[in-house]
Amino acid sequence: MEHQTIPLAAQGSGTSLQRVRVWDRFVRAFHWSLVGAMAVAFATSLLLPKEWALIHVIDGTACVALVAARLVWGWLGPEYARFAAFVRGPAAVIAHLRDIAAGRVHRHRGHNPLGAAMIVALLAGVVVLGVTGTATLGGTLKSGPLAFALSFATGSAAREVHELVAYAVLGLIAAHVAGAIFESRRTRENLALSMVTGLKEARSGDEVPAAVPAHAVLAAILSVTLFAASGFAVATLMKRPALGAPVGALDASYKKECGDCHIAYHPSLLPSAQWTALMDGLARHFGENATLPAATAAPIRSYLTANAAETFDTLAANAFRRVSATDPLRITAAPFWQRTHDEISDAVFKAKPVKSKGNCAACHSDAATGMFRPWNIDIPEVVK
Amino acid sequence: MRIAAILTAIVIAGTAIAAVAAPPAQQAIIDQFAAAAKKADPGFSGFSPDAGKTFFFAEQTGGTGEASNCYACHGKDPKKAGETRAGQTIDPIAVSVNPKRFTDMAMVEKWFGRNCDTVLGRECTVVEKGNFLTFMSAQ
Repeated sequence: MEHQTIPLAAQGSGTSLQRVRVWDRFVRAFHWSLVGAMAVAFATSLLLPKEWALIHVIDGTACVALVAARLVWGWLGPEYARFAAFVRGPAAVIAHLRDIAAGRVHRHRGHNPLGAAMIVALLAGVVVLGVTGTATLGGTLKSGPLAFALSFATGSAAREVHELVAYAVLGLIAAHVAGAIFESRRTRENLALSMVTGLKEARSGDEVPAAVPAHAVLAAILSVTLFAASGFAVATLMKRPALGAPVGALDASYKKECGDCHIAYHPSLLPSAQWTALMDGLARHFGENATLPAATAAPIRSYLTANAAETFDTLAANAFRRVSATDPLRITAAPFWQRTHDEISDAVFKAKPVKSKGNCAACHSDAATGMFRPWNIDIPEVVK
Repeated sequence: MRIAAILTAIVIAGTAIAAVAAPPAQQAIIDQFAAAAKKADPGFSGFSPDAGKTFFFAEQTGGTGEASNCYACHGKDPKKAGETRAGQTIDPIAVSVNPKRFTDMAMVEKWFGRNCDTVLGRECTVVEKGNFLTFMSAQ
């Protein structure tokens, strides 16, 4: 390919130039689908309350699936879609930057080297977000394919990486949009519109990759096989018990005796020492005498201390190991509870059907399991 | 004339007994309280549903907990469900709508033990318990 450079003014006179198909249907559909899916991912994490977590997870899975299909297409698609045709080394990127600095347009009809680097960075970013997101889901919420393997501590670390990478990707997206606007003005062609129509002007001196036939059927078979295999692997891994998560129902006697007055709190919501103190003080129990016959109390005490916060690795068990300094037996006084419920108005707690801050199950449909997953939150309307 | 008067008397007496007497399961519990009351006071002549009613609605002092009367949690209508301070439903205490009430002595003693301390700061007397059950069994 001849590397001629043409002064800006001589280019892009517009209307008379022939337009050719550069972005194929899959590339365009992929691009705008990923735009939409990433917008949902950012909205469900940065803007909307945590009840949206499941939408975030499903949407994030869709992002990774899109990128996986794009990777297949980058191998088997037509020349403008192929990584081998447009991903270039640092030398080419630097040369491109020099062209920009010097005001020269050495036009690539497909992706230019700088744009290609951005594509690689964005695709890699989404993959890293998918991996760290899955690790966060597994470790902190004990859900998804990695729940069987990851501790809460690992999940928390993954979450921090996930957040940092998400902000980095947000920065990359901003740079990508800025770059597209800049390059559209510089080359006098609406690049965003090209990503809709697929058409770009054919100008003399364009750098054009050698034509390669696309293997669409093979790519589709490979993608579908990949999705099926991944889905099967995820489903298989999700059948394994989650690491450090409680299993089974609450102890029947505990549920009956304690659940008469308040919901039977999952034993993982208080440390063992607090359960012991609570059982020692049933005669003065949060404003009521809740004494139990000794024969009933003893097994309940054993059950509670054997299943206390220290014995599980769920988010709740980890969070509620820290008790209130002034009111250590009251779960709703714990720092974590206070922090996570401070935006909920008193009216919600006082009115039906909640009636009391201690009525976890009024909003958390999985309160009895001790899991308290964000997608199981449903704060009821206040009934007057 | 005489026969009619006797029959009327029998019917009235029968109705009165039916109105006062509790269903058998509750009566068995009340009988146990009555026996204990008689043992403590040979002059004991029976429980009073009216005294039970007064007790249920009385404002108490000296309680160790936050409620100072029975209806704070049980509600003012014994035939309707009550609600604990933590928002759990309490089944009605009127036997007519909740026949399982007051059929298990251990259960009865557990809740009198807790609630009398919470509301009155002491144990309830046998007479108070018997009056209460007699009242609720007729509701």
